[in-house]
Amino acid sequence: MKNLTILVVDDDPVIRRLLQQRLAKEHYEVTIAEDGHVAESLLEQHHYDVVLTDLMMPGGIGGIEVLEIAKQLHPKTEVVLITAHSSVDSAVEAMKKGATDYLEKPINFDELFLRLDKISNLQTILKSAQDLEQAMTVTESAASETIQNLEIEIARKQELLEQLEKVLLDHTLAEDERIEQALSKLSEI
Amino acid sequence: MIKIKPNELKVIAQYIYDISGIHLDQSKSYLFETRLSSIAEELGCNSYQDLYHKAKKDVSKKIEHKIIDAISTNETLFFRDKGPFELMQHKILPEMIDARTPSSAALKTNIKIWSAAASTGQELYSIAIVIKELVNDLSKYNFKLLGTDISDNAISQASYGKYNKFEIERGLDRKILQKYFTLFGDSWKIKDEIRGMVNFRKYNLMQSFAALGKFDIIFCRNVAIYFTLNDRKQLFNRIADSLADDGFLVIGSTESLTGVCPRFVPKRHLRSIFYQKK
Ligand SMILES: C[S@@+](CC[C@H](N)C(=O)[O-])C[C@H]1O[C@@H](n2cnc3c(N)ncnc32)[C@H](O)[C@@H]1O
Repeated sequence: MKNLTILVVDDDPVIRRLLQQRLAKEHYEVTIAEDGHVAESLLEQHHYDVVLTDLMMPGGIGGIEVLEIAKQLHPKTEVVLITAHSSVDSAVEAMKKGATDYLEKPINFDELFLRLDKISNLQTILKSAQDLEQAMTVTESAASETIQNLEIEIARKQELLEQLEKVLLDHTLAEDERIEQALSKLSEI
Repeated sequence: MIKIKPNELKVIAQYIYDISGIHLDQSKSYLFETRLSSIAEELGCNSYQDLYHKAKKDVSKKIEHKIIDAISTNETLFFRDKGPFELMQHKILPEMIDARTPSSAALKTNIKIWSAAASTGQELYSIAIVIKELVNDLSKYNFKLLGTDISDNAISQASYGKYNKFEIERGLDRKILQKYFTLFGDSWKIKDEIRGMVNFRKYNLMQSFAALGKFDIIFCRNVAIYFTLNDRKQLFNRIADSLADDGFLVIGSTESLTGVCPRFVPKRHLRSIFYQKK
């Protein structure tokens, strides 16, 4: 099993099946959706690493809308568009809206696998960065607890020391009273 | 990568200290190399000595600014450490609002907040979001939120308010993201209602703060760690001068003011610490 989950969105049953078979053969975990509406409800429930969607689809939710829905719901998801040669301009538009890449039809599978590999490498790096961050956060919060406890404790002791000094310098008190009060302050430290 | 020679280390470290107050450990030569090598190469320098001379001669200060951008660690995230923002929500802001609300209903509540090492702005925007969530109708308030940093790059990203998906991923939950940001290509941009609450400007913390006026709340987190103990003492002393007598100071979660500034006392609320003047 490769480390990417992929949602394939295409209204053409032939392309859909072809993509599913080829991707599954490469051991990617594939889910398919036959149009934008199905894709939308799947995206509402699951996170996919990659959404591979046709640009032109009937039924109101086209590739651009799938892209927007995916980005809204899962900012980290990478979206790759599949376009006819004639609509490369809209594919470029889609890149501006946050698509990772586009592929022209007919799909060149070597090219597709290469792009997926790149995405996968990137996600691996990202994952180790996140692990590192996690580890840092754990260390940091432990350190912070220790430091903050010490900070409060030192401030408390300092305050008592100041009171102690005051008692010792208080000449309105008799000597044994001073000593007694000083000792009681000391015991709090 | 251009190697740094032992005799250059001292010159460069002193130069960086002079322009930014950042104290770099001279025993860690790789720190200098990884951060400055590409600038040196870009400018066609064959040594760090050469880079130093070019920077000193450059009246536009462009090279100096580039060096500061390269040397400063801008690492930050939205709602970093969570605690300080819960503190703002449950303790600091309600108390400050109480203290600053004038008896006449016709007057506005003035509160000034400063993020003293704002980096790319996440800290100040997080504060603005907390305020917006706490007091929905801002018309009775006059919140002044200032973010300052020495790095040009950091300040310009902060001003632009645009964050890529990796920066967004860290610290922002989806509800806040959807509410206060709009998708902008592959990035997210802070909405005008939040952007309009804040101001950013370039400022070196080694300078006097007299020009900035007094603040009610100061966040000075994760920057003093780069300074010497002596500079840290002076910094927090000047921060005390710039803070209202009943004001609040928040520092980094692993920082301490013990032995740094006796004018502040630490106080605990929930699981966080804040400081007030004695
Ligand atoms: C690690 S960031 C801290 C950001 C934020 N306060 C936080 O805690 O997430 C440190 C920032 O301090 C800035 N800095 C370093 N030296 C400075 C100086 N002398 N004056 C102002 N800012 C400085 C750096 O440019 C950097 O953006």
